[in-house]
Amino acid sequence: MSDSENACVSEDLGGYVLVRVRGEVDLSWSQRVRDAILASLGRGDAGVELSQVTYIDSSGIAALVEGFQTARGKGKRFGLIAASRQVMAVLQLARLDKVFPLFADVDAARGA
Amino acid sequence: MNAAPLAVAGDGERRALGFLAELSQALAESLDLRETLNMAVTRIADFMQAEAASLFLIDHAGLIECRICVGPVDITGLKLAVGQGVVGRCVADNATQIVRDARNDTRVNARVDAETGFATRSILCAPLSNARGPIGALEVINRRDGGLFEADDAEILRLVAAPAALAIANAQLAYGLVEQQRIKRELELARRMQKSMLPRRRRGDFPIRGVNLPAHEISGDFYDFFDLPDGRLAFVIGDVSGKGLDAAFLMVRVASMLRWVGAHAPAPGAWLAQVNAELCRTVQDGRFVCAAVGQYDRADGKVCLASAGFPPALLHDGSDFEELPADGPPLGILAEADYGEREFALGQRALYLFSDGATDVRTGATDRLGEAGLRGLIARHATLAPEPRLRAVIGDLKRLHLVDDTTLLLLQEPCGTQAHTLLDLEFPAQAAQMRNVRAALRHTLDGQGVAPELRDQLVLAVDEACTNVIRHAYGGECTRRIALHVARERDMLAFELRDQAPAVDPACLKPRDLSECKPGGLGLPFIAATMDDWKLEPAADGRGNLLRMHKRIDFGDHQ
Repeated sequence: MSDSENACVSEDLGGYVLVRVRGEVDLSWSQRVRDAILASLGRGDAGVELSQVTYIDSSGIAALVEGFQTARGKGKRFGLIAASRQVMAVLQLARLDKVFPLFADVDAARGA
Repeated sequence: MNAAPLAVAGDGERRALGFLAELSQALAESLDLRETLNMAVTRIADFMQAEAASLFLIDHAGLIECRICVGPVDITGLKLAVGQGVVGRCVADNATQIVRDARNDTRVNARVDAETGFATRSILCAPLSNARGPIGALEVINRRDGGLFEADDAEILRLVAAPAALAIANAQLAYGLVEQQRIKRELELARRMQKSMLPRRRRGDFPIRGVNLPAHEISGDFYDFFDLPDGRLAFVIGDVSGKGLDAAFLMVRVASMLRWVGAHAPAPGAWLAQVNAELCRTVQDGRFVCAAVGQYDRADGKVCLASAGFPPALLHDGSDFEELPADGPPLGILAEADYGEREFALGQRALYLFSDGATDVRTGATDRLGEAGLRGLIARHATLAPEPRLRAVIGDLKRLHLVDDTTLLLLQEPCGTQAHTLLDLEFPAQAAQMRNVRAALRHTLDGQGVAPELRDQLVLAVDEACTNVIRHAYGGECTRRIALHVARERDMLAFELRDQAPAVDPACLKPRDLSECKPGGLGLPFIAATMDDWKLEPAADGRGNLLRMHKRIDFGDHQ
């Protein structure tokens, strides 16, 4: 798998599902990310790992917001983990950087 | 049996009702009060078999004035106080009056008979009233058959008065409407006349452009420019104090005077002094005029300018502003005022003259745009050519709240456009295309030395614009095309996005409030937050939409 390719892999860590996203999350890909996030929240608490995301657009942000709102509705924990510089820039632009729980790594997210 | 047609029950009543219906209809059909009333009073006199009939209305001063009169003696215009004479008593009591023997009735004013030779024998007078009370009276005098008016006649007159009063109220209302229309039409004519006084826009490379935005139908602002015999160009801008018709009339006069005096090419200071002296002689009501006048020599690029209390002119070289304050008081205040003048080389700079309406534009409930705000608007569009720049500034002012007449004059030599294309892409409206589009745009912006954070933000904004076209304009992915054009003019990056989708109403595009946390609708706020300005308009050829976005970049030394 080359660096530039998109990927979205869910990993069950026992009651906590980690969704690792990489690549460019745009209109052509965000639906897949959304589905993965919503599926993970069906199984337990969830975190989205974003360190390898090189681009995210408003449809990608919308997928994250939807995950956040679904988790709240279900009483589940939901956080963003190791968000890349590019992701942080867009979160700040959307003024969502204070809304999402942000964690440096998976352990911090699970321990929260 | 003596002829007493109105008193006969049955037949007479039927006749009266028929007459009432006919009269009411006639009254209803006519909107002209005078014509209506004349006709009504004539018919009432005939119907009542009276020698004379008059209609009185209460005027603005509260006097009862005879407005309509039929019969041998014309008393139109006669005014009575409420309570005075039979009519005055009728109005005062809001009750019908019958006078059987006029010569011996104290209510009767004998003066009219004495002056006219008319012999008043018998009088009937019924009040005209509406819901708020009496508005006048209807009077008939002397039965034609020599008989006396009876109580039944009084009852008929009272009945007849009701639709007459209603018709008067209606006609007054209709008249008010007609009058409003007339005033509106005249204001519209005045507006067009004023507009026709403004100089025609000259196309090609002409260096002077003006815009006048009246706050209401008519304006107290003006501008003018014209050729002088020596080849120089003369220009004028002015603002008459106050608003409304009198300001507009003074504006017309001052504009003519400035044109007349200016045509002889006096030095600008002397030009203002001469018009000022004339205005001081003839304007006494405290009005004054702020104006700036100047001449521009295209051959040597020299401007000579003088200002009479006009807001400071702004000279802009694209980055810095120089302010040119007034050289003397407004015109029409001090007859002996002196006006200095200043001369400078225009070069490639832009000279802005603006009436205070431009800075009085409201940016909030009470906040004014101010001069700093106007400078900001000018600076924001500085990289545009003069014509689109003036339009862009005016567009911004219009989007704010204009409270006063606003006029702008721009003097600048046209500069060749320095825009050069950085990127020209065309691709089908499919989400999968965007990765390559973003890569190409990133590469282009890197080539211009745009800092990575800003580069990413610009790429995001363009990407959002493209996906909006795919999702909303085209209604989903398809094989139709999107064209992206990126150009740079000095420190301004211009992004143009064209599609062939049905026209999108720009008014329905409003960035949403970012303080709410919800999944959709973030694209437009991203664009708005990133770009200095953006505008969606129908494509010039009528097919598709054109989105223009601008971003000024601090390129530093990296040209």
